Amino acid sequence: MIKHIHEIRDPIHVFIKLDSTERKVLDSRPFQRLRHIHQLAMTYLVYPGATHKRFEHSLGVMELAGRVFDVITNPNNILSEIRDSLPEITAEKETSYWRQVLRMAALCHDIGHLPFSHAAEKELLPGGWNHERLTRELIQSPEMQTIWDSITPPLRTNDIVKLAIGPEEAPDLNFTDWETILYEIIGGDAFGVDRIDYLLRDSYHTGVAYGKFDHYRLVDTLRILPSSPSQDQKITYEPTLGVEFGGVQSAEAFLLARYFMFSQVYLHHVRRIYDIHLKDFLGEWLKSGIFPTNPTDHLTLTDNEIIAALRETCNNKGNPGFEHADRIINRKHFKLLYQRNPEDLLINPDASKVIFSAAIEEFGKERAKLDSYKMKGGLPNFPVILTDERIVPSLDLSKPLFQLPAEAIDYVFIDPDIFEEAKEWLKINRNDIITLKKIGGTP
Amino acid sequence: MMDRLEKASLIITFIEELCNNGSWCGETHIQKTMYFLQHLTNVPMEFKFILYKHGPFSFDLRDELTGLRADGLLYLDVRPPYGPGLLPTPNAKRIRDHFLRTVRKYSEQMEFVTKYLGKKSVIELERMGTALFVILKTEMQNRSALANEINRLKPHVTIDDALIAAQEVDKMKTDFEHAFNTDIK
Repeated sequence: MIKHIHEIRDPIHVFIKLDSTERKVLDSRPFQRLRHIHQLAMTYLVYPGATHKRFEHSLGVMELAGRVFDVITNPNNILSEIRDSLPEITAEKETSYWRQVLRMAALCHDIGHLPFSHAAEKELLPGGWNHERLTRELIQSPEMQTIWDSITPPLRTNDIVKLAIGPEEAPDLNFTDWETILYEIIGGDAFGVDRIDYLLRDSYHTGVAYGKFDHYRLVDTLRILPSSPSQDQKITYEPTLGVEFGGVQSAEAFLLARYFMFSQVYLHHVRRIYDIHLKDFLGEWLKSGIFPTNPTDHLTLTDNEIIAALRETCNNKGNPGFEHADRIINRKHFKLLYQRNPEDLLINPDASKVIFSAAIEEFGKERAKLDSYKMKGGLPNFPVILTDERIVPSLDLSKPLFQLPAEAIDYVFIDPDIFEEAKEWLKINRNDIITLKKIGGTP
Repeated sequence: MMDRLEKASLIITFIEELCNNGSWCGETHIQKTMYFLQHLTNVPMEFKFILYKHGPFSFDLRDELTGLRADGLLYLDVRPPYGPGLLPTPNAKRIRDHFLRTVRKYSEQMEFVTKYLGKKSVIELERMGTALFVILKTEMQNRSALANEINRLKPHVTIDDALIAAQEVDKMKTDFEHAFNTDIK
C-alpha cells in the first residue's frame, strides 16, 4: 500500500510530515483532546503569548524523534562495537518497525495529561496515578489498539508504552538496551526530544529568547556510544546516547537553555502561585476533589471546561471554589513574601519551610502558601567521541556543563490583604525563625 | 518516614565514608553502593530501584542528589585522574552533625558497605549490583542460571564475569550475616 504523506506547517520545524497511520493517531480522540490542553498551564497570565497547546508540541516531538532515529541508525554513524551489541540497528525490518513505534510513542507521550498539564497532578489524582499512567491506559485503550493492529506488521502495544513513558514509570516492563536508548530519544535526561521541542516552542511563544539553541547541529551529532564512566576505568560497553565532539557546544547551549528557561519561565513566581490557586479551586470544584481516571471521563475534561467553570464560579460567592476562582479570574493572587536565597540556605536548608510554618501559625493556614521545586535529573554526563575516536565523559571536556547549577526554588506566598503586615513581621523575625534549632528529625 | 534533612544527613555521611574508603564518589558509584546499603544491609533509605543504567538505578536518588547540590550540601569536584565526584560541602557536615543519633544508628552498615565496595570500579559495581538485583528479584539458587540471566539482561556483561559477580555478592552477604548476626532473605 502506498503511504500518503501529510504535511503540517509548524513555526518551529517548518513542516512536520506524517504518514496515513500516524494521521489515524492524530485524528483519534485522545490526541485531538491535546488541542485543548495548554502546554504551559496558566503561564499565559504572565507571558501572554504562551497559549500554545500540547497538540503541536506532540507533533514536534514526533518530528524530532524521527530525525534523531535516522541520524543514529545511519550506517555511517554506527561504531562497529555498537553494531555488534545492538542487532536491531542493522536489521532493516527491525529498524523500520522501531522507527514507527518511536514516532507513535512520541505522538502519544502526553495524551494522559490532565487539564492545565502538570499543575497539581499529585494532589488531584488518586494514589498511584499520574499522567504517565493515564497515558499508558489510553495507549492500551480499545480505540488506540485498533490503530496499532491496523498497521503492517501490527505494533506491539507495550513497545509503544515503553517508549512513551520509560522505565521509571513502567517498572513492570523489561527494557532492552535498544529500548532504553529509544526511550531516551524521547524522554532522556540529556538529549530527549521532548525537552528539545518544549524549550524551542516555549521560547518562541513566551518571547523569552533564552530557550533557543542550535538543535539542528545537536541532532546531527548524536550518536549511540559505549558509556564511559571515567578515564580510570575500563570502558563499560553499555550503549547510550552521546555526541560527536563537534556537537559539544550545541549540547552545552541546550542544557544552558533549559537552565535559563526554568529560571525565567517555568519557575516564575507568579506562574507558580496561579498553579496553586488553580489546584485549590479544582480541589473544591471537582467531584470528590480529584480528577477521574477512567479514559472516557478523562477525555471529556480539558482546559476549556475548567476555564468555563472558573468564570462561572466567579458569578456567585456561594459557589464551591469561589475564593480561588476569584483570585485567578480577577488577578487577586497571593504575593511573594519570601524566596530561598544562598545566605539563608547556609543557616538552614529548610529555611522556606520553617518560615512558611511560622507564617501560618501567625496569620492562619489559609493565608500563606508554600511552593518548592527542585530541578530533576542527574549530572549532564554523557559520552563524547573525539576526532581520534577516543570516548570521554562530557564533564571532563566541558567547563560550562561542569559548572551548570542545579536550579531550585522555594517560595512563601501571602494573602495580598496582609502583605505589608507580613513583610514587617518577617523582617523582624526571620533570623530567629530560620535558626537550625527549628529543624525537625532526631537531634 | 525520615525527615528530609535527617535522610540528607545519612546520604552525606555515606558519601563521606565512601570517600574515606577509596571511592571518588561518582554519581554511578553512589547509586550502586546505595543499592547495597538499602537492599543488602537493610538501611531504610526508601529509594525505589529498577534495573536501568549500569545495573540498579534509582530516579529518586538521582533527583535527591541533584536537590542536595541545589541546597549547597553537595558539590561537584574533579580529582584527576578520576572523573567528577559528588562531595559534601562544609555546610553539609554541619547539618549532618545535627542528626548524629540517626547517623550513629546506621554507621556500622555504612562502614560495612563502603569498606567492601569503596574501591570497586564502575564496571565491578554494575556487575555486582545487577547480580544482587537478580538474586533478590528471582531468588535463583543456581549460580550458572543466574549468570545467564544477568547476561540476558545486560548483554555486555559476559557470563563468566556475571558468575564472578554473583559469587562476590554471595560472599558479601555471608560476611554481612556473620558480622551482624542476621539472615538476609
